[in-house]
Amino acid sequence: MTLPAKAFQRWLQGIAPDASTADVCRISGIKRTTLAQQLVRGKVAVSTVVSISRAYNINPVEALATFEPYRSLANPLPSPTRDELVSQISTADLLRAVLARPAMDPAAGGETPPALSPAPHATSVKNWVDAIDDGEVRHRVSAATGIAPQNYSAQLTANRLSPELAVATSHAAGVGPTGGLVATGLITEEEAGWPPGARQGALDSLSDGDLTALAGDRLQALGKVLRRQEQDQAQTEKIWENLG
Amino acid sequence: MIEILQWSTLAICGLVAAARVPSAIRGENRSLFYIFGLLTVAILLSIEAPYVAIDQALGGINLANLLLRFIIFAAIYFVGIRVSRGFGAEGAIRLITGKPGMAVLLVVSLLLVVLFFMMDTAGSSAGLLATSGKSERNFVLVEYYGAAGRAYPAYVSLVLLPAMLRTVTHRLPLLVRAGAGLLALGAVAVALTLLFPVVPPEWGSIKFVINYTAVLCYVIGLALIWAARVRSGKRISTKRTYTAK
Repeated sequence: MTLPAKAFQRWLQGIAPDASTADVCRISGIKRTTLAQQLVRGKVAVSTVVSISRAYNINPVEALATFEPYRSLANPLPSPTRDELVSQISTADLLRAVLARPAMDPAAGGETPPALSPAPHATSVKNWVDAIDDGEVRHRVSAATGIAPQNYSAQLTANRLSPELAVATSHAAGVGPTGGLVATGLITEEEAGWPPGARQGALDSLSDGDLTALAGDRLQALGKVLRRQEQDQAQTEKIWENLG
Repeated sequence: MIEILQWSTLAICGLVAAARVPSAIRGENRSLFYIFGLLTVAILLSIEAPYVAIDQALGGINLANLLLRFIIFAAIYFVGIRVSRGFGAEGAIRLITGKPGMAVLLVVSLLLVVLFFMMDTAGSSAGLLATSGKSERNFVLVEYYGAAGRAYPAYVSLVLLPAMLRTVTHRLPLLVRAGAGLLALGAVAVALTLLFPVVPPEWGSIKFVINYTAVLCYVIGLALIWAARVRSGKRISTKRTYTAK
C-alpha cells in the first residue's frame, strides 16, 4: 500500500524543513517526475520514503514507523528467528556450505566458503514465507488483508511482496515485522537491525542433517522452476518453428 | 461502413502478405506466406467490384465464388496444420490431416461443387445475392451451398480452439499469448458463421462483421506470433519446408 501524500509531506517537513522537492529528488536519486506524480495522485510509494531516509541518514525502518500503517515497526524489534535468517541465504551459498561440511565431503579439508552474498536472493520471498509458515499463515494473511490466496501465491512465486503484505505476513506468523521487508529487498539486514554475521551464525548452527535436507528442498524447488521454464521455452520455440 | 471494413481488411491482409515475401524467399515457413496470400485473394474476391471483374474474366457464371470457397478451404487447411503443430495439439493434427479431416474436406467439397452446378449461376454477383433471388429453387440451393462453404472452416476452427485457449493461459511471451488469443477469437467467429441461417435478414450486416473479424483475427494473430519471434531475435532453420514436420 502507498502512503498518503499529506502524511508524507509532514514527514518530509520534519526531516528536511528547507529542502525543495527538487533538492530532495537530487539527493535521494528519485526522478522528479516520479515523485511529482506520486504527490499529485496522493499516493507515495514506500520505496520513496526508504530512498529519501537513506539520503538523509535516517534508518528507513524508523522513518516508516512514523506512518500509520507501519506503526508496528516502531516497537522494539524482536530478533529474527533462525529459520528467517537461513531463508535469506541464497541457494548457491547454502550448497557451498553443504560442500564445506566434513560430513558431506571428508576430503574438503575445512576450507571456509566465501562470505554470504547479501539478502535478498532469487527466491528469498518464497523461502522467507516458507520459513515462518506454520501451515496456516497464507490463510491468515488472506483473511487479514483480503488478498485472494492465488494472488498472494503469485506474488511469492514472482519473488515479490508488497510492503504492507510483507508486514501483514510477519504479524500473521508472529515474527518480527521487518523480515519480509528484508526478503523483498526494500531494506537491508543492517537497517532491519539484524546483527552482522547473524545469517552466517544461523547457518553454522544448523546440523549437517538439517542443512543437507534444507539444501535438498531448495534444489528440488529450483529444479521444478527450471524444468517449467525449459518446458515453456521449448513450447515457444515450437510455436515459432511452425508459425514464426 | 461495410465497405470500409472490407477494404481495410484487404489492405491489412495485403500488407502482411507483402511483408512476408522476404522470409518466404529465404524459405522460412512458406506456408505462412501462402496463408496470408490466400486470405488476401479471398478478401479481394469477397468485395463486389473486384469480384465482378474477376468473375467476368472467368466466364461470368460465378465460378469466382466457387474459387473463393476453395481458396478459403486451402487457407484454413494451412492454418490448421501450422497452428496445431506449433501449439503441439496432436489430436487436432489428426482431426485435420488424418482420415476424419480428409473425409470432412472431401464430402464438403463434393457437396459444394454439386450444389454449385445445380444452380442457375449465370450473371456475376458477389455473395450470389442475385443468383439467390432468381427462383425459390435457387434460393434454397444457395443457402445449402453457403452452409457447405462455412462448414469446413468452422470444423477446423473448432478443432483448433481448445489448443489456443490453453496457450493463452500458459506462461509464454506476451505477444505469443496475445496472438493465440486473437486466433481463438477468430476461431469463435468462424464457428459463429454456422449460425448464419438463423440470423434475421434485417441483421444482415452482422454477417459481414463476423466474417471480416474472423479473417482479421487470424491474420493479426499469426502476425503477432511472427512479430514475437522477430523481436526475440531467434532465427528459424530454413532447411525445413512447410511439408516437413
